[in-house]
Amino acid sequence: MLFSPTNISECVREWDDLEKGYQQMQDTHRLYKQKLEEVTKLQNSCSAAIARQRKKLKELALSLKACKEDQESRLSPKEKDSIAEIEESIKDKTNAFFEMEAFLPKKNGLYLSLVLGNINVTLLNKQAKFAYKDEYEKFKLVLTVILFVFSFMCRFLFSYRVLDALFNFLLVWYYCTLTIRESILISNGSRIKGWWVFHHYVSTFLSGVMLTWPDGALYQMFRNQFLSYNLYQSFVQFLQYYYQSGCLYRLRALGERHNMDLTVEGFQSWMWRGLSFLLPFLFFGHFWQLYNSITLFKMFQLPECKEWQVLMCGCSYMVLFMGNLYTTLRVVYQKYMNNQDKSKLL
Amino acid sequence: MSQVLSEVLEEWKCLEEEYQKLQETHKMYLQKLDEISKLQNNCATSISHERKKLQDTSRFIKKCSKRSSEEDSKALLELELKIKTQEHVFSEMEAFLPKKNGLYLSLVLGNVNVTLFSKQAKFAYKDEYEKFKLCLTIILLLFSFICYFFVSYRFLDAILNFLLVWYYCTLTIRESILITNGSRIKGWWVFHHYISAFLSGVMLTWPDGNLYKMFRNQFLAYSLYQSFVQCLQCYYQSGCLYRLRALGERHNMDLTVEGFQSWMWKGLTFLLPFLFFGHFWQLFNSLTLFKMAQLPDCKEGQVLMCSFCFLILFVGNFFTTVAVVRQKLKSTDQKPKSM
Repeated sequence: MLFSPTNISECVREWDDLEKGYQQMQDTHRLYKQKLEEVTKLQNSCSAAIARQRKKLKELALSLKACKEDQESRLSPKEKDSIAEIEESIKDKTNAFFEMEAFLPKKNGLYLSLVLGNINVTLLNKQAKFAYKDEYEKFKLVLTVILFVFSFMCRFLFSYRVLDALFNFLLVWYYCTLTIRESILISNGSRIKGWWVFHHYVSTFLSGVMLTWPDGALYQMFRNQFLSYNLYQSFVQFLQYYYQSGCLYRLRALGERHNMDLTVEGFQSWMWRGLSFLLPFLFFGHFWQLYNSITLFKMFQLPECKEWQVLMCGCSYMVLFMGNLYTTLRVVYQKYMNNQDKSKLL
Repeated sequence: MSQVLSEVLEEWKCLEEEYQKLQETHKMYLQKLDEISKLQNNCATSISHERKKLQDTSRFIKKCSKRSSEEDSKALLELELKIKTQEHVFSEMEAFLPKKNGLYLSLVLGNVNVTLFSKQAKFAYKDEYEKFKLCLTIILLLFSFICYFFVSYRFLDAILNFLLVWYYCTLTIRESILITNGSRIKGWWVFHHYISAFLSGVMLTWPDGNLYKMFRNQFLAYSLYQSFVQCLQCYYQSGCLYRLRALGERHNMDLTVEGFQSWMWKGLTFLLPFLFFGHFWQLFNSLTLFKMAQLPDCKEGQVLMCSFCFLILFVGNFFTTVAVVRQKLKSTDQKPKSM
């Protein structure tokens, strides 16, 4: 209906029609607010029921354990079977609770509470969660490309402390924003392993310390190595993103991975299917971190070293190297053990 | 079968029944979520549709009012009033519908919905923001006190500056969320947090040296004073806002700010001299840094940049506060005329 009155009385008449429409809208809105209240009540009752069930399940599991230990020899096979069944069922229920809670609002963890306050960050339907995860991946990709171009310029084209400071600020902001978004993803059911989140905090700290390092002889000594390292890291992260997202897409379609699994900066168990070629690149990056750490420790021993940043950065790179290497080696070790088991069965 | 085991099996049966009920409730919940999301889309599209029509009507009325008769004018005025009321109703409706985040929130958070869907939740969030400000202001007060009177390490200064940057960035995030939820925070008070974050960032990169040491004590004393005034502001403003809200004279989502606002004439006038002193301290910082930039041994770009930032802060703060004073003087001038 086009609103194009030609005189005032027509206008008034059309307005009266519009007002009827507004009444309807207000009724819909009232219905909406009512449903909001109902939904809030359901949310509270679901959350309370889940908490209650969890508690009782824990107690039950303990009593079952006590039962098994007490009367190991005196249990009939039927009783043993039913105990095993119940224990399986408890595990399944715990997983089901985790899935259910992905759609219920929950209190934010410490980090999100500090930064955002009490906003509920749970996205309440599967498409929204998936769209948020996609957006996170895109954000990582865009920023990685920007950081690559920036470090390229700083390494090969310009050499101003101001540009370096801007680059470091960008790094700090990037890692902080990643930590915020990852906390939101974890609230929404993504299972990101501890080290990959923690290593963003360490990277933020490291970039922050680099930021405060005053321009001087020692800074100039380390600068080029640092920029080349960043160039390489951005390149590898780009590779990771590109190949991991393709692989994840395929595995999700085959139903072998969870919808909320993300691309990460390391090597994960599912990546053996076609992404093993990434491993050498990753190990090279880890050992570059070790090399940075050793360079900084050597610089710290020099007589003219007065800056505390040198030692602090050295320690940070060491922490990054050890964490990354350990986590990646564990994945390789697990694969090796799996292969051993397989060959034993054959 | 043993006693314990049969008890366990009984308990398990009860739990299974409860679990079934839980699954059904959860299914119903997911269904209602779907219904709500449909209603939200419905409401949002009809509001934007109707708003367009409202704007067309408003334009038509403006055209007509230029060449209308006496009684027509009355009808037109009535219509205009109705349109304004309806616009207001639409805004109120939209306060409870999810909306797309602005640029800043999209960059930092992505597409999470930050609209709180009930008045109590909005109010609680605002209260939490005030508490956060008060808490961090006290921490910054203590920290700058320690750095000024007790220890003098560049390392501690760096931590203070990082804390300042983090504090101002977090404030900007929370304020963006509050604005999305209906708080009316005036442009300058938000913008000046961005400038303060930038200023603290530049202070962070200033290397330790003679010029830094020259300015350090003045900067720490200034931070000390600012934290103190902000504590005063939070304390007195929240008491005053509480009273005014109870009297229905202020909107529920009004916040305490770092400046002087029109409602503060009712009892908070004593804060004005403290505020003006703070503004002029910013000018003094700016002039000191500008003089330092003229020195022959000044090689740091941070000096001029900080001077510039302090100048912007002074100009913005001073003129915003003076505007409030001028408005008050104008309205007191008009009162005796009408009496």
